Amino acid sequence: MLPFLAFFALCYLAPVCYAVWTSLRRTRRTGPLGLGTEHDTFAGLANYAQALADDRFLTGFGRVLLFGAVQIPLMTVLATALALLLESAAARWVTFFRGAFFLPYGVPGVIASILWGFLYVPGLSPLVRIAQGVGWNVDFLSRGSVLWSVANIVTWQFTGYTMLVLIAQLKSVPGELYEAARIDGASAWQVARYVKLPLLRPALVLTTVFSIIGTLQLFAEPMVLRPLTSSIDSGYTPNLHAYSEAFVGNNQHRAAAEAVLLALVACAASFGFLRLVGGRGKERG
Amino acid sequence: MTYESSDSPRGGVRRRTVLGGAAAAAAGLALAGCGDDGDAPRERRKGQKITLTFWSWVPGIDRPVDLWNRTHPEVQVKVEKVSAVNGEQYAKMHAAIKAGNPPDLGQIEFPVIPSFLLDGGLRDLAPLGAARHRDAFFAWQWGQSVFGSGIYAIPQASGPMGLFVRQDLFDRWGIPVPRTWDAYAAAAKEVRRHGAWIETFAPTNGNRFAGLAWQAGAKWYATHGDTWVVHLDDAPTRRVADYWEALVRGKLVKTIPDRRDAWYKDIQTGAIPAWVGASWGDALLAGNAPGTKGRWRAAPLPQWRPGGRAYANWGGSTTAVFAKASYPRDALDFAVWLNTDPGSIALLLQGGYGFPSAKAGYAATALDADKDFFGGQPYSRVFADAGAHVDTSWQWGPGVDTLFQRLGDAFTDALADGSSFRSVLTKVQRQTVSDLRDKGLKAESGR
Repeated sequence: MLPFLAFFALCYLAPVCYAVWTSLRRTRRTGPLGLGTEHDTFAGLANYAQALADDRFLTGFGRVLLFGAVQIPLMTVLATALALLLESAAARWVTFFRGAFFLPYGVPGVIASILWGFLYVPGLSPLVRIAQGVGWNVDFLSRGSVLWSVANIVTWQFTGYTMLVLIAQLKSVPGELYEAARIDGASAWQVARYVKLPLLRPALVLTTVFSIIGTLQLFAEPMVLRPLTSSIDSGYTPNLHAYSEAFVGNNQHRAAAEAVLLALVACAASFGFLRLVGGRGKERG
Repeated sequence: MTYESSDSPRGGVRRRTVLGGAAAAAAGLALAGCGDDGDAPRERRKGQKITLTFWSWVPGIDRPVDLWNRTHPEVQVKVEKVSAVNGEQYAKMHAAIKAGNPPDLGQIEFPVIPSFLLDGGLRDLAPLGAARHRDAFFAWQWGQSVFGSGIYAIPQASGPMGLFVRQDLFDRWGIPVPRTWDAYAAAAKEVRRHGAWIETFAPTNGNRFAGLAWQAGAKWYATHGDTWVVHLDDAPTRRVADYWEALVRGKLVKTIPDRRDAWYKDIQTGAIPAWVGASWGDALLAGNAPGTKGRWRAAPLPQWRPGGRAYANWGGSTTAVFAKASYPRDALDFAVWLNTDPGSIALLLQGGYGFPSAKAGYAATALDADKDFFGGQPYSRVFADAGAHVDTSWQWGPGVDTLFQRLGDAFTDALADGSSFRSVLTKVQRQTVSDLRDKGLKAESGR
């Protein structure tokens, strides 16, 4: 237990404590034009207050929540459908398709965003050209659509991963259960609906929590697409906002405060979701 | 910035006596606190071999450094390439300063020098005798890194602004190359009639916008006593903002980011036949649109007043010595050699590093590195003339990175929700004052 605790303290507790500590401080400068000495002083909650007073930071939260409300259900339904189809009796080339769907997960988020970026940029993108060919004037990078272009990248990347978690859950079910259902005369659809789906519940809860956290941490995709379009600002997502504060504004204190706020929201959203589904589970049970 | 750091818009400018009067008085006591100029620099023993590290993103920088290494066996310089995309190089440098392990030397653009001073990141080169090299450089560029009595970097290159045009297309369409901004707007209308867009107003390119405001006579930063005064929302800047807003709202310019894939595509195909750019743009055009060779020309920046000669600068960078440099005297020697040695300048020019800050560099014929691309035009004369008429009273303040980001965000919003470009200036001015105060500085609004 001791080695674990040591690792836990070093790799988890220490950075968190450091972030909280940093978020409570601010830099004071003296001398003409501030070019003299600098020292850190206690700031209380001033960094938090400033972060919460920043429209762009709050808009970023609204944006990722909207993103999550659309993208997570969509991806989960897609992954569930794929998992059920691949695990159905009639499926062929199961291994190949499982691998193919999982493949995007192996592509780092930055690379995936660059790849998709090429497919989005007007003038270069074959997709845009094809769409225009049939008279559909599409702009993947416009203010209104860019969030969904990001959602597309995320869905492309993580559907296979989610699917694999669900398949693992299905595999852990003894085959007799399906056999019994079939002997009782259940159709493939009925087996899926009344046997497999309820069994998938724990895995679905798990992947949804992962997705909620991932959504709030959205960073690489908008960061990579940002130079390609005028529709993504420096605070497009809360994470991007904190990054800009830290590395463009060189204001680590405010960035730390924003990171702590982000962690709190991620915590609240995850536990809130668990509580929601946990409660329903009990009623049923 | 020197051309290739195409994603990190920052324009070089002149600061001159920059913190001039304000800082000078107090400089003696307080500026000494910045950098380690208090301590005596570590000296190299005679015959001792040392290695200095140098973070740079300038293409082809390895070649002059190799030349130095061949001719200076005792002081070897190791170049470590850093990414210049989205200002990553500065994020890395600031982080290294904070962590206490910066390199010995770094490539730093004019506008961000004050930000590094706030960090105490740069060594004051004045006590090492840097002042004796002053006359080798153009005065306003030398002044970019002079604060009070301190000298914080050796200038390398600048970017006088001008107008690049596809002469063949302008001729075919019967549009004269615009000499004034009025003519430019008229040309934009004509170009649009032929299905093209004269160019793009990239909302996130704060660096170029700064250059245009500078040309119009704006002065964004000033100092008053020990206080920074921000004048973003002044009459010249409003004029520039109104002008581009009219072009944008009239759908006479695109609003895509410049110097990115889509823009290069438009440049290659003639869909965008002009670019208000800077001297280092020659290498960008020649490198990214080789198919248009011979059809481009460089022209002076359009003027607000017919017959005027107001110019501005976009880009420009320095070689700075970090406060923690192990052997600052040798680092300074290298920085001076890199930017004044004729052999070094010739190699830098081949790489396309912009306009030399060293006076001797201006004489170099190699300035017209891509002459064939410009149909044989000695185009560097256009930029040399612009460089000679740049208003030298412009100065940068701390946190210019943040300022550019604020401008980019606010212009992005304005394009989306239709709010006026003037409201952008008001907003960013307010934010900038507040940003400076957040850094613990005294700051106020210019009006």
